[in-house]
Amino acid sequence: MKMSRIKVISLSLAFLMGSLLMNRCTESEDPSMPETVDFNFHIRPILVKNCYLCHGPDPSSRKSELRLDTFEGATGTGESGLAAIVPGRPGKSEVIRRIMHHNPDEVMPPPESKLTLSEREKRLIEKWIDDGAVWKPHWSFISPVEPTVPETSGTKQINNEIDAFVLKKIEENGLEPVGTAGKNTLIRRLSYLLTGLPPKVEEVKRFVADNTPDAYEKLVDYYLSSPHFGEHWARHWMDIVRYAETKGHEFDYQITGAWRYRDYLIRALNSDVPYDQLVREHLAGDLLTNPRWNKETGINESVLGTAFFALGEGTHSPVDIRKDEADRIDNMIDVTSKAFQALTVSCSRCHDHKFDPIPTSDYYAMYGVMESSRFSPRMANLTFQQTEDIREFQKTKEYIRKKLAANWIGKETDHTVETPATGQITAHHHGEESQVLGDFRGSGLDGWKSDGLAFGNHSALGEPIFDQKGEKITGLSEGKASSLILGAGIPGALRSPDFVIDHDFIGIRALGKNGTIRIIIDNFQLIQDPIYGALMKEVNSDTWHNYKIDVSKWKGRKAYVEILPGVFKKHEYNLPEGAFIEAAYVLVFDGAWREIPEPGEPEVPSLSGAIAGWAANKGSTEQIRLINQKITQGTLDARLPGIKELFTKREALEKSFEGAAYFIGMTDGFGINSPIFIRGSHQHVSEHRIPRAFLSALTFGDTTFQSPGSGREELTEAILNPKNPLTSRVMVNRIWHHLFGRGIVETVDNFGLQGKIPTHPALLDYLAIKFQREQWSIKNMIKYIVMSRTFQRRVVGDDDLQKKDPQNLWLAHYPIRRLQAESIRDAILAISGNLDPRMYGEPVPIYLTDFMTGPGRPAESGPPDGHGRRSIYIAVRRNFLSPMMLAFDRPIPFSTFGKRNVTNVPAQSLFLMNDPFVMQEAGSMAAEVVEQDLGFEERIQWIYMRALSRPASEKEVMHARNFVNQQAASYKISPDKALKEIKVWNDYCHAIFNLKEFIYLI
Amino acid sequence: MGKANHHIYRPISRREMLGICKSGFGSLAFLSLFGSMPQSKAGEFKRLMQPIRHHIPKVKHVIFLYMDGGVSQVDSFDPKPRLDQENGEDPNKKFKVDDTQFGNVGKILKSPWKFRQYGECGMPVSELFPHIGSCADDIALIRSMVSDFPEHTNANYFLHTGSGIQGRPSMGAWVTYGLGSENQNLPGYVVLDGGLVPPGGLDNFNSGFLPASYQASILKASASPLANIQPQEESQALQDQKLALISRMDKSLIGNLGHADAVESAISNYELAYRMQSSVPELTEFSRESKETQKLYGLMSDDPYTRNYGAQCLLARRLVERGVRFIELTCPKVKADRWDQHSGLKDGHERNAHAVDQPIAGLIKDLKRRGLLDETLVVWTGEFGRTPFAQGTDGRDHNPSAFSMWMAGGGIKGGTIYGHTDDYGYRVVENKTTIHDIHATMLHLLGVDHERLTFHFGGRDVRLTDVHGHLIEGILT
Repeated sequence: MKMSRIKVISLSLAFLMGSLLMNRCTESEDPSMPETVDFNFHIRPILVKNCYLCHGPDPSSRKSELRLDTFEGATGTGESGLAAIVPGRPGKSEVIRRIMHHNPDEVMPPPESKLTLSEREKRLIEKWIDDGAVWKPHWSFISPVEPTVPETSGTKQINNEIDAFVLKKIEENGLEPVGTAGKNTLIRRLSYLLTGLPPKVEEVKRFVADNTPDAYEKLVDYYLSSPHFGEHWARHWMDIVRYAETKGHEFDYQITGAWRYRDYLIRALNSDVPYDQLVREHLAGDLLTNPRWNKETGINESVLGTAFFALGEGTHSPVDIRKDEADRIDNMIDVTSKAFQALTVSCSRCHDHKFDPIPTSDYYAMYGVMESSRFSPRMANLTFQQTEDIREFQKTKEYIRKKLAANWIGKETDHTVETPATGQITAHHHGEESQVLGDFRGSGLDGWKSDGLAFGNHSALGEPIFDQKGEKITGLSEGKASSLILGAGIPGALRSPDFVIDHDFIGIRALGKNGTIRIIIDNFQLIQDPIYGALMKEVNSDTWHNYKIDVSKWKGRKAYVEILPGVFKKHEYNLPEGAFIEAAYVLVFDGAWREIPEPGEPEVPSLSGAIAGWAANKGSTEQIRLINQKITQGTLDARLPGIKELFTKREALEKSFEGAAYFIGMTDGFGINSPIFIRGSHQHVSEHRIPRAFLSALTFGDTTFQSPGSGREELTEAILNPKNPLTSRVMVNRIWHHLFGRGIVETVDNFGLQGKIPTHPALLDYLAIKFQREQWSIKNMIKYIVMSRTFQRRVVGDDDLQKKDPQNLWLAHYPIRRLQAESIRDAILAISGNLDPRMYGEPVPIYLTDFMTGPGRPAESGPPDGHGRRSIYIAVRRNFLSPMMLAFDRPIPFSTFGKRNVTNVPAQSLFLMNDPFVMQEAGSMAAEVVEQDLGFEERIQWIYMRALSRPASEKEVMHARNFVNQQAASYKISPDKALKEIKVWNDYCHAIFNLKEFIYLI
Repeated sequence: MGKANHHIYRPISRREMLGICKSGFGSLAFLSLFGSMPQSKAGEFKRLMQPIRHHIPKVKHVIFLYMDGGVSQVDSFDPKPRLDQENGEDPNKKFKVDDTQFGNVGKILKSPWKFRQYGECGMPVSELFPHIGSCADDIALIRSMVSDFPEHTNANYFLHTGSGIQGRPSMGAWVTYGLGSENQNLPGYVVLDGGLVPPGGLDNFNSGFLPASYQASILKASASPLANIQPQEESQALQDQKLALISRMDKSLIGNLGHADAVESAISNYELAYRMQSSVPELTEFSRESKETQKLYGLMSDDPYTRNYGAQCLLARRLVERGVRFIELTCPKVKADRWDQHSGLKDGHERNAHAVDQPIAGLIKDLKRRGLLDETLVVWTGEFGRTPFAQGTDGRDHNPSAFSMWMAGGGIKGGTIYGHTDDYGYRVVENKTTIHDIHATMLHLLGVDHERLTFHFGGRDVRLTDVHGHLIEGILT
């Protein structure tokens, strides 16, 4: 269904929503009937819930040819000749007759569906038809239009527009907002929500003492600029991208460099990289012509975003790799569409979406984009300086080439200049028994993709070969694909176009050191025995060697060949020093290997032509050979003062790559359009292929992707298209969710028809437009929201308010919220004084309890306290997830979770009561308490400020005193000694960690 | 702490109630939630909830005996004389051989074990399982099982969650989500860790997108069966005083705040955790069992693995007695691999069988004499079967196209043999039965309609059985 086909009514949501929700005061007859029945907010939810399974967008399950998801479908005459809906005429509308019917054979929904409409729902439908049955596209598919900020009565204080929008709703619902929270509450709320950590005692004292009008704003800025901000907000995003550092499945293999993506997120959030830039980097960070270079370290940040694609589960040795590919791509589509668009596109894998206007063809249009992208080891710390050095090196090389050529030409008698041959091999040798996949003995790379730096963009033909000392050139390289274009140990890969395996063997003539050749079938990367081991060959040979790979088992499958310096050990990529690989040609064949004749050139070249050709970088094989001959004979003098410099530069360049680190990210393959998998089965596919494109319901003009690569750039453009109604809304809603514990749209990952409708649609649009206007600044948006009075309201347990608005939809007060798992653990560390604030780096190994067993268990456990590092730095191993994190609702990393559950289970209590870690941390705090020369009450005050950011009341001090005496008595310690007895204080501090106030934002 | 949340009946807040109803809880409820809920809210909850069950249940509990790695059907419950006749011949000449995981297809391999008939029904069972054989009249055997996956991890996820990929809720989570537990002081879904966590890890027992409350609690038959169950304090008085202080402070917080459902629930949660501190360790006090009972379960066996599994089985019975809803047992780590004999079939299967045979029979007999078998469903299965031809010379590779499993207990027609495989036991030829069917039948016996037990996730009302599953009528009474 395209938008253009729906009667698009350009109304702003603000208007649509107007006073529709829960408006009770304007009704004349029926107090529960709204004045205006709105399709999006009243009718569609009823249809979605009760009708669309049989009368929705999916034709495979549609009954009686009737669809109620489009205006045309609902108002057209169906099989019976009757129109389901006749606008303005409920009496003529078949829908009304059927839903009101008492005969079980006639009534809709039918009894076997076990669905029934309430009287109110029936009357809403009737009234809506009576009012003219105005149809609208689903609210989230209508672009936001800037709403008018509501007027509110002058008595109410307003900090910014948010308050006006929220107060309007509060008033409409007959509620009274509560006042602003106290300073101790506010600083605790802000500190935890912006940094995930409790405020420091000095911070609390400073804020409480600061009576300047902008004290709060200063505090907001302070926490927004804290490096801990990024650590906390990165974790939110990690839930969305199912972040994990291992692949799960049987042996839980490492995902190379996954943690570098975590660090990337922290840095990006701390430096407030605009959200649109983050989107771009996630989807196509490897393809940006102007990547984002880190201002301090100089590294290319953009490329790291693409790691998110590779964070999913990984299966080794699947018997059916095509299915494995389909499952992997399904997960990528699922996460991409939920994360950036809050749409459940993966519901359309087997059939058209049952509710949303997302046909199966949309799914496979996106499938093609993923299928033509390839996972690849990528350098995580390539610096701008290195790219400059490379440019410099190339320039020097050019200079040498020109200079030498000039010297040589001067010495030649034959001055005629011939047109240089291209040397490019285009004609492949076709034969029944063999076929060339790539021949690099000319000057080109034969249509293969050179990814990264190693192979450059042409073959090595004519590249200078240095002598040992780097003083002269001993000759020029013959044609071959070489990872030595810049030097040894330089990362990159050379990959063939996709082809269908139709021979028994793939042969690669190659040499190298710590190089690897892989046959990637159906994008399957986890190559290992027992099934796939033979698809990878390590190349360690200093002379040409024919590598033969048996692929007879996979005839008919799609594959590509990958040639790269470096090795995979247990699926972790590593590029040892000096590693390189070179290939002459690649062929497929049956039976015995057959040599591929060298692409010869008929005429014998002249030397001057050869030199000119070489100087212009276009020399042919024959020409280069002729030059080499002359160099060897001494006719051409290959010495030049600049050569040493070039050689030194290369050495320096090689050295600079010794510290290179890697992660698995994306690179582009060759555009593949996928067929539709009928009923989701890769074994039954449609004949036609679906051009790669974005969602048809959101199309902006002609959107078929034309890119010869994957089309990820076009996907990015579509998501960031200013007319895209979802991108900005979805992100501001996520931010709102984290700050209030509930999104304006509660279903933060689903803005489709089954998602919740927004409580404050006008506000949502206001924020979405503001976000875009203010360059997608996440920090600005957070600041704007936390500066509102709405955010600063008190928490209450007011019965009256709870009765009227049990879910606190209208935000008359701030909700009571439990801290998230990471904050609970981090706070225990911070308060006990054991938090190690070091940022970034390799994950701290997970602490393994006796209950955490199974294949892939790491040989050694991590420390119980994670070395005091923040939770975000503790290893996330899919098969060995932290029990504490799970108990406190950190999601299992398999899909997008923008919203965590908040459960209440005994494992949480048992952790806080009995886990040795909590007890130990309390012990550290106790040691600090005992060391200080403070009186009893001062101690309690110190503990309260530290743990709860507020002073203790007299009563609390009294309870503490009784407790300390009790414990001392049980330990048989005299009361006067109790003050210095660590055991007693350990118990008291432990009790503090167990207070509800400690794990809740009150 | 295991990767476990200890779901037990616990007070829930009004907000949680709304959450439960919203998420498509449908017509199921946690009956005993009322027990620990403030009276005022119980009424409200009742109004929000539909009837408890879809139909009258046959059983209240499930004991799931998971045979990790895949037991060979032709060596256990599905005798194939033709293998004896054609032993050593090339299987490719007999039938189409599918791709196997290891691709090392050997010759047709006869079973190293003899079969004999057991019980009045005359069910043939191999020498591997003489004790289980003695329970044949209580067992409904299904010889026509198939799985969608030929490798462990996917097949394990599939068996446990109805989906081959990570992250879906386990059947135990679905069952507790639907029915809860009957015990105030114990989790509703318990995994007894015999030593082997299956490939795919603890996620086989997880709650997926269901709330964390429905995760399995991992218990070991040891003095400290559950993570963090033992207080750290030197004496109970020290902990009691501490908890009293916490309780006093928490209540005064509520006093200041007014009603705060979330916090109130968290407080009750502590009371529950406290009760568990005594109810959980008590579970493994086997000394209270008679010598005869201990012997019945193999606790006196010379084989340490029989003793280990016997303890798990006895613990399972004690959990059933205490109202725990879903109990899964994982296999002991015998001195061979799990049931995954790619080589050394004879030795490996014998060691595994010896560990579990007597304890399982003991469990069935003990449940029966205590009148508990009628209200319990015992399920025995691996994730797939094994090939009738050798892998190499003396092993068998994975075979998802046919395997045997059995059930016993309430609503099950004992002494039944259901379904057929071909002459080689390689493929199912009659009454093909899927994992979804097992799940549907299991839920049915618990009084739950598998098509109506749903949870809204990712834009769909998701079921344990996805869009599949049929009752296996042929094994039901």
